[in-house]
Amino acid sequence: MWLPNWPILRLHRSGAASADQPAATVLTERGQRRLACVCPLAAAAGLRVGQALAEARALVPELDVHEATPEEDAAALARLAEWATRFTPLAAADPPEGLWLDIAGCGHLYGGEAALCATIARRLGETGFLARLAVADASGAAWALARYVGGQTRVLLAGEERAALEALPIGLLRLDDRSVAALRRVGIRSIGALARLPRAEVAARFGPLPGLRLEQALGAAEEPIAWPMPTPPWEETQRFAEPIAAPEDLARTLALLAEALGRRLEGQALGARRFVARFLRVDGAVPMIGIATARPVREAGYVLKLLAAKLETVDPGFGVEAVALEAQALGPLAAAQAEMGGRADAGADLAATLDALIARLGEEAIWRPTALGSHVPERAVGRAPPLTSVGWPAQLPDRPLRLFTPPEPIEATAAVPDDPPLFFRWRGRLHRVRTAAGPERIAAEWWRRSPDASRPAHDFIRDYYRVEDQQGGRFWVFRVGLVGVPRWFVHGVFG
Amino acid sequence: MDLRRHPLPLRPSPPALMGRVHGGGGAPGVPMGPAIGACLPGGRLPLGVLHALEPAPGAEVQHGAVVAGFAARVLARIAGTWLWVAAKGDLHAPGLVACGLDPARLVLAAARDDAAVLAAMETALRGGAFAAVVGEAGRLSRLAARRLQLACLRHGCTGLLLHRWPYGRPAQTKVAQAEEASSRGQSGEQSSAVTRWRIGAVASGDIFAPPRWRLELLHARGGVPGEWIVEAGERDAPDLVCVVAELADPAAAPQRRRLG
Repeated sequence: MWLPNWPILRLHRSGAASADQPAATVLTERGQRRLACVCPLAAAAGLRVGQALAEARALVPELDVHEATPEEDAAALARLAEWATRFTPLAAADPPEGLWLDIAGCGHLYGGEAALCATIARRLGETGFLARLAVADASGAAWALARYVGGQTRVLLAGEERAALEALPIGLLRLDDRSVAALRRVGIRSIGALARLPRAEVAARFGPLPGLRLEQALGAAEEPIAWPMPTPPWEETQRFAEPIAAPEDLARTLALLAEALGRRLEGQALGARRFVARFLRVDGAVPMIGIATARPVREAGYVLKLLAAKLETVDPGFGVEAVALEAQALGPLAAAQAEMGGRADAGADLAATLDALIARLGEEAIWRPTALGSHVPERAVGRAPPLTSVGWPAQLPDRPLRLFTPPEPIEATAAVPDDPPLFFRWRGRLHRVRTAAGPERIAAEWWRRSPDASRPAHDFIRDYYRVEDQQGGRFWVFRVGLVGVPRWFVHGVFG
Repeated sequence: MDLRRHPLPLRPSPPALMGRVHGGGGAPGVPMGPAIGACLPGGRLPLGVLHALEPAPGAEVQHGAVVAGFAARVLARIAGTWLWVAAKGDLHAPGLVACGLDPARLVLAAARDDAAVLAAMETALRGGAFAAVVGEAGRLSRLAARRLQLACLRHGCTGLLLHRWPYGRPAQTKVAQAEEASSRGQSGEQSSAVTRWRIGAVASGDIFAPPRWRLELLHARGGVPGEWIVEAGERDAPDLVCVVAELADPAAAPQRRRLG
């Protein structure tokens, strides 16, 4: 996509210059004021880029002259590239006057690639920008066609590059001025003429650039385009002129980053439940440490205390070039106010203690048991984050204090098949049952797994007994197999 | 800090302990009934200190269910939020309800090994947010026990240490090892935990009755050792256990040994 005279267009849009007056921007080059960009009106009056300002003033006395601002133009172009991400996720600025849009797979959303280009041009036109677009498989072909004067939006199919570029002037190949002049001098004026020359001789005489640009235009070479990747928004990075390795330096850097991140989070009344610090080493390795907290935090000292415990695991190797601290799992966190007397509330105490435990054991290792309401013992308990409040019924059927997963098979002997066992052998010990209660029949949840040939329906039914042996041990045993030989298991022990 | 002027209270002196139990800034203890209370400093199981519970020899040393039942009943009589740290995740929360404990107030934590359990216990005790912290660990170094006891005293949090040996390997040898270790008496932490108990199941003859235990008070700082056959207290009973009175066999009857 080409935005001809982008700096002037910006001036028009901002109202600093009017569209019906010749305008130009000037840049001071080696002490001389020279035109950097001219509008079509001025160009029609005979002005061109690179002309001295005094000469231009003499030719067009009413010329509206503005100081060139290349940095601002580039920044505005980058913003326009961001705007263009609504059409395709891959949009990059191509300074000074263009944008790259990778619209592979995006065309059908607008009814074809030509329609997509028309939409973009129309939307830009509505905001006052003139845009020329071209679509091609090869980046160089799209660039040349978009800038081909008098061209309209062209959509090239794969393999058409050669024919489309045949007659185009050599200046559209993105060569430097010297190469163009040198090529012109030997009579090569069109891209087709250059393409017909032996590649090795062109390279020997004009350097590698013409050959590379030609290949990029014809689709034979890939062009590396720096697509801007969305940076994680809640990240602070510190880069160093010289690699650092001392643990104290790393800790101090983390402190600075945590403070900066904390200030940003505070501005949005946010906190984060996870912080990840990445250490970009000179040899390319990226050791990471992370902490998780029970509730959103942002206080730098607090984050730092948890991170510091893990900092010693970071191997700086030959040095660390950059340190990045990222906040994840954001959540609202109102501005905190210490209570009168300076005592934090009990909830904060609990959260702080839990955070210390999470830092030690890991986020998955701390939980609150929740009742899931399933009668199958293995599925009766769930895990909830430790700061959630859970509810438990006050009365439950008698369940063991220790539950073995999976149940442990035992050798048991019962008087009649429906009775609790008389004795059983578990873990090499013989237990004689003195008293028993049951059975409590628990069937598997039928909606989870349907019986089949390998596991018939009666295999899902368990008859549980609470038994006490002669030593007083209380066990939860069950029998599977209403048909055939029963199998016995110990599922738990009562306290 | 100048250690000469501010000695670290590595071990609570009995008067300080009594002060903790009888008020003066301390929390009340857990009532154990008159017979057992007579052997305990202050007549109750003191809070804000470290207690060690070990299972009686037998299969109990592996699954530790009886010890866990005792600990759960202690927790149920302490107000606040509790933490239970274990390397093995076989604690079944619905089973705690029968011990009178509300699992909603319990936070569970899984640690890799014994060392991680002890470190997590210490972290939790130092945090001061939990009313009680239970840890299941096989063996305990003297230093680790000291640190736990110190953390308990500093932050007024009760620590319960459950001795438990891992299983999964051939049962016979493990049990034999555990029995040996148990019979050695774990003299290492004797000086650190304020009380040390050995608990084993005793047949009650009635599966619907509360579980019956042989409760040995191996060591109590400021108290005397003792041994009783007890029945777990009912859910809403004030006392943790009640001594079974109708023991007719003098050989099995509780014997009070005065060793103090």
